[in-house]
Amino acid sequence: MIRRIAHHGLALPTVLVTAVCFLAPLALIFVYSFGTDNLVTLNVDFGWTTSNYTAFAQTLYLDTLLRSVVLSLGTTAACGVLGLALAYFISRQGPRVQRLLLAAVIIPFWTSFIVRTYSWVDILQNDGPLDNLAHTLGLLGPRSHLDLLYTPFSIGLGIVYSYLPLMILPIYVSLERIDPAIYNAGADLGATPWRQFRRLVLPLARPGLIAGSIIVGVPAMGEYVIPEILGGGKTLMVGNIIANQFQETGNYPLGSALAVVLIVALMIVLFFMRRFQMSAEVT
Amino acid sequence: MNLRRHPVSAGLSALVIAFLWLPLVVVIIGSFDANGLLTTFTGATGHWYDQAVHDPNVRAGFETTLIIAVCSMLLSLCVALSGALWWRRAPRRARAIYDALVYARIVVPEVVFATALFFLFLKVHFALGIPAIIVGHAVLNSAYSTLIIQARLLGTDPALEEAAADLGATPWRVFRRVTLATLMPAIIAAGLLAFTFSLDDVVTSYFLQGTAQSPLPIVLLGMIRFRITPEINAVGVFVMFLTVALMSGAVVVFAGAGRLGREGRSRRRSRLLGLYQG
Repeated sequence: MIRRIAHHGLALPTVLVTAVCFLAPLALIFVYSFGTDNLVTLNVDFGWTTSNYTAFAQTLYLDTLLRSVVLSLGTTAACGVLGLALAYFISRQGPRVQRLLLAAVIIPFWTSFIVRTYSWVDILQNDGPLDNLAHTLGLLGPRSHLDLLYTPFSIGLGIVYSYLPLMILPIYVSLERIDPAIYNAGADLGATPWRQFRRLVLPLARPGLIAGSIIVGVPAMGEYVIPEILGGGKTLMVGNIIANQFQETGNYPLGSALAVVLIVALMIVLFFMRRFQMSAEVT
Repeated sequence: MNLRRHPVSAGLSALVIAFLWLPLVVVIIGSFDANGLLTTFTGATGHWYDQAVHDPNVRAGFETTLIIAVCSMLLSLCVALSGALWWRRAPRRARAIYDALVYARIVVPEVVFATALFFLFLKVHFALGIPAIIVGHAVLNSAYSTLIIQARLLGTDPALEEAAADLGATPWRVFRRVTLATLMPAIIAAGLLAFTFSLDDVVTSYFLQGTAQSPLPIVLLGMIRFRITPEINAVGVFVMFLTVALMSGAVVVFAGAGRLGREGRSRRRSRLLGLYQG
């Protein structure tokens, strides 16, 4: 009996940390998302109003949410294509080369996130290396610039760059276990490279591709730092708007409502991903 | 025709590797660049390293970051280890709830978690600052640590502990000499992961720091916002070497224990998350 109680005592730190510092804050913002900000008393009145959710229908917020969704989907797709190419290539090498290439994928991932992201400001800025290259190649007139920085493109590039290793690793894991004889059989039976890719590599990589899409797409949706650095304060994502409500504007109920919308949106996406994943297992 | 050396896959792979390394090259060049602008390279200098080392803001930020990383790592490990040991013998339903909570801590966007915790601390008048950041990091990092320790527990035979007990070892001795010993590689890896995540964290630290000294990533973010300086490249190179050394240590520990490379860990982690079936 004492042993059983002692055993359940082991759950205490996790229960405490999760309940107090994770579930309670989320419950708090859920409750606040139905309150209203009283500008006179600076208190929050609870009328269980849905006005924060209808305020969400403003074009500013809808545009930002739409931009976040598009950026999240686009960067996940780009990571998928690039990740599949590299993961496949790595999985077909000998063990030594595999280890070397995996290190080449992981080491950039260990560099300071801020410094890594900021380096793209250097690379993308007008008169930067990329801009100069375009001028040298004669792609641009002397007075014009690429103007890549501080656009949705530069944010997308930053996200793809930061999350790519998280896509490469799960795809690599699902391809690595596969007997190379399968590919040889495909080739022997006369499949063209494209057909081998479509009928062999893609289905085999599918579990890893789905796992990677979740690991990349979900945090990309709530990204805050990358748009902060590479969006130049002009182009924002939903994470920035939530943060601004709490840090600057002080409209906690609106910020809470935005956060709840983001979580619900992600839950819907995850639900469909799981369904998709299960159907992938059946086939 | 063999796909192994197919030009499309090889060419695309070379481009992806170049893409991943380009910013690192830019950071390293920038950290030695005399005129401080990447437009033209006018000569090498150690000036930015000198400036970074003597920048009081960077030094204080680095110290704060280390304190936070060490404390939150220890807290994460306590939570993860006790939780995983409970999980091993818990009833099925309780285990499922526990797993769901670990999963939720990983999936909820950090910006939502950080603002919510900031808001709660504000409401209950818990002082923002370094202790708040430590707790915030531990909530997130303990989830990753739990996954790693759980993975190791799944591969451990309970018969080992029973055998030790049958041979007359006290429960404490069994725990120390068998349970803890077999879990050690996972504990070290989980600790290092928590440490490096904490070292690099921006969002949670940003919301919970209050008026306390900012940790290093926030100091760097501030430098980016107000002035463009190659000094941050020098700091970046330094942090990069520190992290690579730490994580290489983790890989060596893992390889030495004959288990799980980083890729193996991510597989087990994905499997635990139910993301990957294999």
